[in-house]
Formats: sequence, structure tokens, C-alpha cells
Amino acid sequence: MFENVSLGYSDKVIVRDINIEIPDGKTLVILGGSGSGKSTLLKGVLGLLHCFSGRIVVNGAVVDSFSQSELLSYRQRIGMVFQEGALFDSMTVGENVGFWLWEHTDMTDSEIEERVRLLLSFVGLIETINLYPGELSGGMKRRVAIARAMAPQDPLVMLYDEPTTGLDPFTSKSICDLIRQVQKEYGASSLVVTHDLQDAFRVGDFFTFVKDGSLIVTGDRDTISESSDPFIRTFLAV
Amino acid sequence: MLFELVESIQSFSLMVYHSARYSLTNFRSREVLIQMDRIGVGSVPIVFLASLFAGLDMALQFEVVMAPYGAKALLGKVVATSIVRDMGPVMASLVMSARVTSGIASEVGMMQATSQIEALSVMGVDPIDQIVAPRILSGILMMPILSVIGDFLGIFGGLVIAFLAAHIPAPLYWSGVREALTLPNMVNGALKPVVFGFILTSVGCFYGMKAGGGAAMVGRTTTRAVVAAAVWILVANFLISKLLLNLWGNEG
Repeated sequence: MFENVSLGYSDKVIVRDINIEIPDGKTLVILGGSGSGKSTLLKGVLGLLHCFSGRIVVNGAVVDSFSQSELLSYRQRIGMVFQEGALFDSMTVGENVGFWLWEHTDMTDSEIEERVRLLLSFVGLIETINLYPGELSGGMKRRVAIARAMAPQDPLVMLYDEPTTGLDPFTSKSICDLIRQVQKEYGASSLVVTHDLQDAFRVGDFFTFVKDGSLIVTGDRDTISESSDPFIRTFLAV
Repeated sequence: MLFELVESIQSFSLMVYHSARYSLTNFRSREVLIQMDRIGVGSVPIVFLASLFAGLDMALQFEVVMAPYGAKALLGKVVATSIVRDMGPVMASLVMSARVTSGIASEVGMMQATSQIEALSVMGVDPIDQIVAPRILSGILMMPILSVIGDFLGIFGGLVIAFLAAHIPAPLYWSGVREALTLPNMVNGALKPVVFGFILTSVGCFYGMKAGGGAAMVGRTTTRAVVAAAVWILVANFLISKLLLNLWGNEG
């Protein structure tokens, strides 16, 4: 939940007075043009940026109030899919997916391998378990990144930063379908940042538009479709 | 400018402090072994060649200077002293800065540019713990070993010149070498590689972690890292030499 949040870098405010609530178990899509401040909001949820004003509340806790060790523990329960996947180059696909489990659980190697295989089967990439990220296509990297983000079994929230950017329409659709599947599997609230309206409507339950660091409209698909805001009308028409 | 310098010193000190803390409290044996292989074993051929030719050249130059004074018999001692005390560790470290510091700075820089470092933080893992600490520890552990290999090859290179060009019998050369292997010289030769190993890896990590943007920025950062490491190695070499000379005088 964002309560009157203003965020930015150093002394530059990128988003201001943001108020958003993500209903439990639903997917909220943040839409907007490049540089509008969408990804900045995700960094706020992750505690990578501190609020200039207002607060971000996740599961009843204020993110900015965490100490460094609390922040690391909190982040362990966030599933995050980065724009280009951000897979670790030096590790195989299996090691990437199992990394969180090695770091934060007492599972044995065989238990981890079993879970990794399960997650990779879920995203349809079990055959890539011993490959390195450099050997995968863009779409495959996103799938592996989603599998990696699913490693915590009880994530508080799933975050997706431009999950379909740079992918062809077919691959984009398959990634969107996968995001829906993940949401059904975990029932965790999801926050998706994208500039692609079609993909947004595929994955989202609710939508909010960011323009020049401020929210213009928030609502369900009908609210967005019926909005008379000129920026949204233009966005819908493109 | 001054503010940036102070900020850099502060971030570097914090990075080193946290690396030391993680090395003691959360030792990552697998990562350390991987880095020891990359930094140490992977550098053996280049240290081998550089040290051998440095030894060959050094003996050649000393022989020219010493011959008119009838001091050729001291060639083994002079070559070994120079190599063990100074040239061996410095030569190996400077060659290593081109390989190790640039490798670390570019690898970590690309990880930064492709959000892999951010991904680690997001997954609840401190990048200093996973990335920086194992590299610094590996540098500190492997550099003395490489330095000993380099010293041996440099001295061996000197023997080749002593025997073939200066016509000094091998036993005479080796007795000079044995005279040079005194405690102060050995301490000199053991301490410097530890410090240089720290400089090589920590500077690479520091610049890599600061890299942002794309490939061009990573390239610039890598160049800066190599230059900084080379300069700091020479500065540290002078300071350690001065310190040990004050401690032991001209002994050795």
C-alpha cells in the first residue's frame, strides 16, 4: 500500500503523492511511458529507495522503518522479476533458480534440486536446467527469472518490472499467461510495471496510470476504458 | 572533488570492513575456491612468463654493471635479493593487475549494469558477502603462492644468464641465492604479496560495484581500476620497503 508516497534519487523527486492499494491476491498493473517513474515505485517496495514523504506498507509493516537486517529478511519474501531477467551469468539455470533456497533455507541439496525441477517444469523449461543464461533466448530468460522469483514458497508480493519488454508478441503472451498462472498458484498480490497496454489487460485486475511522476487514474479495466483523460485516451488509441 | 574523495574513501573502507566481517562470519567456501582457481591457477602462465623474463633481463643488466668491478660472483645474491624483496612481488602484481583487477572490475561492473547486483540485494543477499568478500580473500590467499612461483622462476632466469652469458658456475650462483634468502628478505617477500593481493582484488571490486550504465561505462571503469591498482601497488611497495628497512635496517 502506498500512502502519499514521494520517491526519487538523491534530491530529485521522481514520483509524488502516490496513493495505491493492492487488494489481497490481485494483480495491479502500473502503466505509463518511459521515465514516468513506474520502476521507481517498485524500488520503493523493495526498500532500495527511501520515501521522501509518505510510507509504503507491506503486510502491515512500513518498509522504510526496517533496519538493514530486517530489510534483507523482508526482501527474502518478495518475488521480483527484473526487466531483462537479471539472471546470474556465472550460474546455471538450475543454480539461479535454487539460489534463494540455498541461501535462506535448510533444505538438503536433493530437496533443492527437486524444488528447482518443479519450478522449471512449471515454467516449461526443465530441459535448460544445466544451461547458462547466455545460452537462453530473451523469453526463456524471463521464464527462468519467474521460476527464480517463485522460489520462496510464501511470497508476500510478486513484482514484475517490464516482464515483456523486447519480446515478440507470441512470447509476450506466453509470459503474461505464466504471470496469471503464478498468481493462481500462490494467490499473492502482484504488482506489474509495463508500458504495454495489451499485456497489462492480459495480466491485471486493476490498473493505474503514471504520468510525470503522478497518478492520473486508478481502477479496473472498465474504469480505464471509459476514462476521459486525454493522456489515457491517447494511450488507449496507440 | 574533495567531497567525492572523502565519499570514496568512506565507501571503500565500509566495503573492506564488511568483506572482512563476512569472511569471518559467513565463509563461502565454494565461491572462494572458484575465485582461487580463477585468480590464482588461471594466472600461473602469465606470472610464469613475466617472472622468467624479468629474471633473465635483470641478470643481464646486473652482469653488465658488475663485470667491470669484478663482482660477477655476487650475481646470484644480487638477483635473488632484488627478486625476493621487490621485483618478484611487484612484477607479479603488476601483471596480475592487468588480468585480475580488470577481470573483476569488468565482471562486477557488468553485473551492476545488468541488475544482477540489485537482484542479489532483492533476494536478501548482501552483494559484498556474495561477490566482494570471496574475491578479496582469494586474492590475499593466492598472491603469495603466485609470488613464490614468480620468485623461483625469476631466480632461475637469472641462473640461465649467469651460466650462459656471465659464465658463472651454477653452484656459485646458488650459494649467492642462499645468502640472499635471509629472514628480513623472506618477510619482505611474504608480506608484500598479501598486501598486493588485497589491493588487486579490492580495487577491482570497488570500481566494479561503482560502475553504472552500459558497456562503455564498464570499459571506462575497468581502465580506471587497473590504473588505480597499479599505482597503489607501487605506493604500497615503497611504504612496506621503507617500514621494513626502518625495522631491520640494511640487514639482508
